[in-house]
Amino acid sequence: MSEPSGPRGTRLHVGDSAVARIAAQRAALVPGVVGLRADLAQVLLGVAGSVLGRNRSRLPVDGVTAVVHGGSAAVSVTVVTRLGHNCREVAQEVQEQVAAEVAAQTGLTVAVTVTIADVLLD
Amino acid sequence: MALNDSRDFLDAAGPGGPDLLACGRAAALVWDRAEAGTPPDEHERDCPHCRAAHADAGRLGALVHRMAAEEIEPPPSVVDAVMTAVMSELSPHEVLLLESPHGPNRLGRPAAAAVLRGVVDRMDGLRARSCRIEQVPERFEADVAISVTARFGVDLASVTARVRQMVLAAGEQALGVPVRRVDIDVVDVWGEA
Repeated sequence: MSEPSGPRGTRLHVGDSAVARIAAQRAALVPGVVGLRADLAQVLLGVAGSVLGRNRSRLPVDGVTAVVHGGSAAVSVTVVTRLGHNCREVAQEVQEQVAAEVAAQTGLTVAVTVTIADVLLD
Repeated sequence: MALNDSRDFLDAAGPGGPDLLACGRAAALVWDRAEAGTPPDEHERDCPHCRAAHADAGRLGALVHRMAAEEIEPPPSVVDAVMTAVMSELSPHEVLLLESPHGPNRLGRPAAAAVLRGVVDRMDGLRARSCRIEQVPERFEADVAISVTARFGVDLASVTARVRQMVLAAGEQALGVPVRRVDIDVVDVWGEA
């Protein structure tokens, strides 16, 4: 949770899940991104959640982890792209757009790391 | 009298009072007898309430035994999802670093190798077999070692130059990883002249 100082003593809390959802939504829109890829832990949590009947909204966002600490957030995004897009450029574009979007919506300082997990060859 | 027959059933019920069937017998006791496989006595054979309780016990028993015997198989989509995640789970040394002004990003090494194999596969008369990419420590450049097979009759002397050119170009254009050196091993030829 974060507590950027707001006007006249109001406090804004932005949770990890909120940041992750904003990041996931923006990342999926970047040209060259075919989709987001959940890591093993997220897939297993999803399976556990569906078996245990947990509320899906409490589970992490597939392909994105976000940790908010104070006024800054560390975001990790894992995406899949397709042959024909330059991996370095796709990664940098996702990095920039996600950072800008999260900063604009939450006021947090954001550091984004992008992992390209797979490149589709067809 | 039917109620007299039921006396011992009633007495046997625990404190707090039993749940009685309409005929006066305790449902739990009829159930227990049915579960134990005791054949219905004279009253139970004629009494619709007891027969129903007997049947209930039998039905549950069959259901429980069937479910216990069933192999539990997760739906195929779950298996797929988990296996995809297991296969693509990247440990820190299985990634290449991609240069970025905002801090390095990462590219899965198996995915990068698959891209290089893929572009070589599309070359006429060549098939990629294996591909290893090693990134130079503390830098973004990479060394590539690739083994290929060539169709019979392909000029092997020029294969090296063609593959090297393709890997250098693909490294820069498709991956965004500058390739410093390329080792090429022609391991076999295939097809007949």
